[in-house]
Amino acid sequence: MTAFVVIGAIGLGTYAMRASMFVLVGARPLPARLDDASRLVGPAAVAALVATMTFSHAGSIDPRPAPELVAIAVGYMAVRRTGNVVYSFVAGLPTLWVLTALMG
Amino acid sequence: MTAVTQPDGIVMNDVSATRNAPVDDDVRRAFVEGARAQVPMAVGVAPFGFAIGAAVGASNVPVFAGWLGAPLIMAGAAQLTAVEMLDAGAAPLMIVVSALVINARIMMYSAATAPWFRDEPMRRRLLLALPLIDQLYLVNVARFEQGDLGRRERQAHWVGGALVLCGTWVTSQTVAIFFGAGLPESFGLDLAAPLALVGLLAMSVKERPAIAAAAVAGLVAVVGVGLPFRAGVLVAAMSGVVAGLYAGDSPPKEAS
Repeated sequence: MTAFVVIGAIGLGTYAMRASMFVLVGARPLPARLDDASRLVGPAAVAALVATMTFSHAGSIDPRPAPELVAIAVGYMAVRRTGNVVYSFVAGLPTLWVLTALMG
Repeated sequence: MTAVTQPDGIVMNDVSATRNAPVDDDVRRAFVEGARAQVPMAVGVAPFGFAIGAAVGASNVPVFAGWLGAPLIMAGAAQLTAVEMLDAGAAPLMIVVSALVINARIMMYSAATAPWFRDEPMRRRLLLALPLIDQLYLVNVARFEQGDLGRRERQAHWVGGALVLCGTWVTSQTVAIFFGAGLPESFGLDLAAPLALVGLLAMSVKERPAIAAAAVAGLVAVVGVGLPFRAGVLVAAMSGVVAGLYAGDSPPKEAS
């Protein structure tokens, strides 16, 4: 029962966050400074998530093994070069497989 | 179609001015385009969904409660944290607070997305907010900023993408939880989520303020890994935004 309540509460709380600005902003334009800030939310939040997923595990610093770090870097460079997000996988996963095979 | 620039620079196409135009085709096209744009994201979301489904299946959390997290929470990092903490017997309030702190970045996405739907009635806005998550926000707002989609096309683009993304998310978890889809570890599919996100990151950091925001956020996230309630992501994202604003204010150094 506890698990259902916990999952339900997180679901409700998360939806409240999703809907919060959809409700508050309404038909009003955002102040210019907030508008500038909103354009930086994506890069900042995604970088924070990637760094957390890459360099930590279960709440403590625990970097991924070297082949995975290289694969993530290769995936990033591939997308920068091609401008297509699919190349993150096309380049990243084979890099991981090859490095893992080479390093035993 | 008449383009109307709003005070904050967002170009809103006045669809009412072309009421007799073949808007339905435009809407259909936008729906398909939105759905297609999320296919590469779904490629990353599916293995992440499998991994979380497998974690739910391997934990002591009731299977149906764990599965409900897929459609109700619709955010992988928070769901995984909740399952891990439930499995470890953490206090319920602490689990809820930790997961919501991880998801607090969604409120920032909400602020950035809301202006694009500001002309919709409240009930529709509440529905449009339901699937808001990293990939949907980043892909759609980047598309909206091109300024050639009207109100209805923006909605269609959003909904088309949401169906692909959310459908993949719930299906992949369902398969992993209820049908025990065992994926070989050697495939390295637990790397799919960071790879998908790093791809989005590469697409979104093109100008100096965004580069500064991402660099500072990444650094602060690593430094803040041990923060209570897993607040590192939120603190890092906010630090990154402030750094990006500062970088945008200061003039670029001239090449010597």
